[in-house]
Amino acid sequence: MEIKAKILEKLQNVLDPELGINVVDLGLIYKIEVKDGTAFILMTLTTPGCPLHDSIAGGVKRALRDIEGIQDVNVQITWNPPWSPDRMSEKALRQLGFLS
Amino acid sequence: MTANHTYETNIRIPFSFIIFGLLAFFLSQILLFLSTRQLSTGEMRLPVVLSAVHLLVIGFALMTAMGAMYQLVPVVFLTPIWNESFAFIQMVVTSLGILSFSISLAFNIQMAIFSGLLLTCGIVMFLWQMFMTLKKQKKRTVITLFVGTALICLLLTIGLGLTLAYHFWSGRQLIDHDLIFKAHILLGFSGWFTLLIFGFSYKMVPMFSLAHHFSMNTARYVYIFYISGLVLTFISFITANDRLLSAGLQLMAVGYGLFAYHMFAILKKRMKKKLDKPFLFALLAIVFGVILHIAAAGFSFESEIHSRIFSIIIYCYLFGWIVLSIIGYLYKIVPFLWWTHRYSKKIGKEAVPTLKQMINEKWIVMECCLFVASLIGMIAALASSSTGLFYLAQGGMVLFSGLFACTIGSVLLK
Repeated sequence: MEIKAKILEKLQNVLDPELGINVVDLGLIYKIEVKDGTAFILMTLTTPGCPLHDSIAGGVKRALRDIEGIQDVNVQITWNPPWSPDRMSEKALRQLGFLS
Repeated sequence: MTANHTYETNIRIPFSFIIFGLLAFFLSQILLFLSTRQLSTGEMRLPVVLSAVHLLVIGFALMTAMGAMYQLVPVVFLTPIWNESFAFIQMVVTSLGILSFSISLAFNIQMAIFSGLLLTCGIVMFLWQMFMTLKKQKKRTVITLFVGTALICLLLTIGLGLTLAYHFWSGRQLIDHDLIFKAHILLGFSGWFTLLIFGFSYKMVPMFSLAHHFSMNTARYVYIFYISGLVLTFISFITANDRLLSAGLQLMAVGYGLFAYHMFAILKKRMKKKLDKPFLFALLAIVFGVILHIAAAGFSFESEIHSRIFSIIIYCYLFGWIVLSIIGYLYKIVPFLWWTHRYSKKIGKEAVPTLKQMINEKWIVMECCLFVASLIGMIAALASSSTGLFYLAQGGMVLFSGLFACTIGSVLLK
């Protein structure tokens, strides 16, 4: 399996505890890059004042540490562009009751 | 722009404030229950009632608000707390101040000035902490304006409170005692608590409902109308002008109505269709607030303003708007705090519970229904001067405060 696919798979275990939806389905992950054993994750949160800021960013780091070939994880939180609901997957929209 | 700062506050700070608040809430309700006979006759300014009310307003509402602010200010304003050690010292000073002040009010009101000074020290330390924290905020928003003005009102409230305590101690009045008393209540309830809840609602309502793409334009009109009303009402106390009082209360009602409308407009843009139960109770408090502001403005037209009616409105304002808002948000904040402490280092490594699984929602619904039923009972008891109903309704409040503390405590077992 390609390393980026492995990363995405692992990130599906990182849930936003307020919503109970993982960061991938929420559309929080903007960019994934792997260079010289370091994974660079550019991501956002649903709101800039999210109290779960540190918890989710830390969760992303921990989730990727066990992947073979990754020695270090660098997580960057960005507010630009801000997160928008249309980034959510159909599964996430269903979980929120937005789609039946 | 990317950011990798940490905004988490040491969990012991908010928790120590909140635990103190829960105990003060329970104690205040027991004291009010014991004063039922006097309260049912409409007599509010009794030593034990003053003690119970201050335990509720300062011991519970203010301490909980402070604890919540230590947690929320860093994340809402993206600014870490200025000095965490200072926060612990402030907690100890304020707690001692509240306890000694409540005891003084109940047993020796003349001496309340001394414990009041200790309490003032604690609150001023908090204000200093917030001033130093907010000063570092890079981009100020309308929420900063609401919270900043609320903090100024808190400072004025304690200044007025201290003046009242000086009157009791010296036996002479620096300024008309009744004027100071009214201004103390106005700035404490509508200036400090209401503006603070307004400010944080602008963050928490979209966050808990996952609302996006809404306009914040109405917020500035909320601020302008509410503050104008607050200032006019304050001036009406000084000038003893009933027309001005009526105009001030009407402006406040317009400001509050705009706030309620704005919250509704934000909720219409939400992605989370099924809202959590505790959050719904915080929203119910807004509905009570609208009714109370309209009632206060409406009754101010009466040629003879009945102090009994205003006493009931103030009671409802405290319980139905301020306390219910805090309760609703506390049911959300405590699971979050404990989850952060217990599970934030496990997320991504193993399965962790969601915040909803940290607290029993069925209990919350039952407790909040008990609270609302007791509140309605208290209103009926105050209006009819029925001692029996008073005992029943206040008994409900005592039961609620105990169950509330247990439910919040049960989160710590998760």
